[in-house]
Amino acid sequence: MLRTPSACSKSLALVLALVGGVSLAGPALADGAKVYADACAACHMPNGEGIEGAFPKLKGSALVVGPQDALAGVLMVGRGGMPGFAGDLSDDQISEVLTYIRSAWGNAAPAVGKDAVAAARAHNRPEERESLNAH
Amino acid sequence: MNDEGEGLGSEAVGGFTRRRFIEGLSRVGGMGLVMAGMDAFGVGIASAQATPPALTGSGSGRKVLILGAGLAGMTAAYELQKAGYQVQVLEARDFAGGRCQTARAGFSLTELGGARQDCRYDKGQYFNHGPWRIPHHHHSVLHYTKLFGVPLEVFVNDNEAAYVYAETGKGPLAGKRIRRAEIAADIRGYASEMLAKVVNQGALDAEFTKEDRDAFITYLRGEGYLSASDLRYVGTSDRGYMVPPGAGSESGKVSPPFAFKDVLHSKMWRSLSSVATYSHQGTMFQAVGGMDQIAKGFERQVGRYVRYGAVVDKIAQNETGVEVFYTDAAGKKASARADYCLCTIPLSVLRTIDLAVSPRFKQAMTGVAYMPVGKVGLQMKNRFWETNHSIYGGIVETDIPDLGSIAVPSTGYQSAKGVLLGYYQFNASAAKISAKTPAERAAFAVEMGSRVFPEYRDAFESAFSVAWHRVKYNLGGWAAWSADGRKNDYPVLCEPDGRIYLAGEHLSYLGAWQAGAIESAWQQIGKIHSRAQA
Repeated sequence: MLRTPSACSKSLALVLALVGGVSLAGPALADGAKVYADACAACHMPNGEGIEGAFPKLKGSALVVGPQDALAGVLMVGRGGMPGFAGDLSDDQISEVLTYIRSAWGNAAPAVGKDAVAAARAHNRPEERESLNAH
Repeated sequence: MNDEGEGLGSEAVGGFTRRRFIEGLSRVGGMGLVMAGMDAFGVGIASAQATPPALTGSGSGRKVLILGAGLAGMTAAYELQKAGYQVQVLEARDFAGGRCQTARAGFSLTELGGARQDCRYDKGQYFNHGPWRIPHHHHSVLHYTKLFGVPLEVFVNDNEAAYVYAETGKGPLAGKRIRRAEIAADIRGYASEMLAKVVNQGALDAEFTKEDRDAFITYLRGEGYLSASDLRYVGTSDRGYMVPPGAGSESGKVSPPFAFKDVLHSKMWRSLSSVATYSHQGTMFQAVGGMDQIAKGFERQVGRYVRYGAVVDKIAQNETGVEVFYTDAAGKKASARADYCLCTIPLSVLRTIDLAVSPRFKQAMTGVAYMPVGKVGLQMKNRFWETNHSIYGGIVETDIPDLGSIAVPSTGYQSAKGVLLGYYQFNASAAKISAKTPAERAAFAVEMGSRVFPEYRDAFESAFSVAWHRVKYNLGGWAAWSADGRKNDYPVLCEPDGRIYLAGEHLSYLGAWQAGAIESAWQQIGKIHSRAQA
């Protein structure tokens, strides 16, 4: 086969960008907010209120402030119409955005570590998404 | 796994839709998954059924209540009424077609959480923001376009003259627009030359007889336009001219090939494969005047059975029948009874409706995700892609972040104006851009597109965009089954729960395609009919 993986440089650039952009003491929340704005806000709305009957509210959501593995699993593979983001977001980004939604809008739940996200990724087999194509 | 994830917004850094996806699979799942992905693309999934099931005998007036007047629902209504069933269709919108829509002046859309968009294209201009192309092997769609007299025209999917544009490559070609033919000729020419060399050096002598070798070299010479004398690739007139041949003494000046390493590191070859993916091979078609003409073709046949503006609230059933409760166009509560229900409501929406099915069936409905999909149609005041670039229909593949492909219209050639597809995004890119206002989306598309065509800035007139995941009654472009979901949940949903049957593209291996909707309906009405006859 002549199909050559080509993501290495991209992934590396991404990792560098993330490492470069975040100081260790830095504003994790700000990065989580950015991921949220890019990946989530279109449906769940910038204020986490969602749209009734379509996109669940994240503010005060039991799932959002509940067990980390269940929440991370939803991010990986999607649920009930929501797409999975395993192929689009890194563990760092998922950890940041979950930490963000668990502490924004009055939510108060502990941060989600990268290890928990990595475990969820391994557990949820998100890599087996079958069909994503232009039609 | 983390290193293999692409990260937010970098989906489009990969660019090149089909290729990007296949490579994505190879990164995360190895070659087996690549093959599975290729199968999902259409390799081996030609529309399997060419004609509707023969519903022999009679429906004897039994009633089937159909939810949704998209292609699946209208297919079912058409075939069932023909076979003697009483049918009624409840449709939430005030028009039929489901996702088979076309935006033209007068069309409006208000996304959930978004502003109302009124399409302000000129008269005669339109944009297929839903389905936009039909493969020649989707016999089921072609069955009805023929039957209902919906005229088709060729959809130009592959165009050798269309540009490839890659910013993420290295070297002198990065950030330049290059015609597909030039990239294809060069990369295949150089690859053929190298292969010919190693074969001549005896690299394959263990497997090859002399006869094999001669045949193979002959193939490589043709494939790569290699010189007969020394099997080198030195370019070919077929990749194009600097000065085209003409009359009299003008024999033309052939454009020289790019250097091998420049092509190699440009990454532009990622837009190429030996053949197009099966679902995108020529001949492809579109409906003349807009894809919604297919919906209109169905509507002419079954529109009289459709109750528009009927939003389903609850689907109930018992041993003897089904009852569906809905809110009608006037806001009044109403209900309808039938012997069977065929529900074509997307699972992303159906999960929010009170539905009397088993816990296992309900659980299976959560086993699917729906794809965020974004498209924008940009009306341009002139057809610069034709006049300045000689691109008549076709797709410009780019790796511009979050942009994906640009497609110029396969209709209205040489007329004054045209609507081009300014972006076509999926998943994270679609989610990201859809958070913008319609004006911001258009500005994004114009700014990014002007990297390829600077004419965008002057020519742009008006835009209409859609983010299907934010469209009420759809909540997603199409069903995206995970391998687990396809294995465990999909089979459950393909069978009825009591008297409730589901149909739609989501219950086919032709996901997202109109053929999937039609053939799923065919399959389910076949089952209803067998049961009614028993």
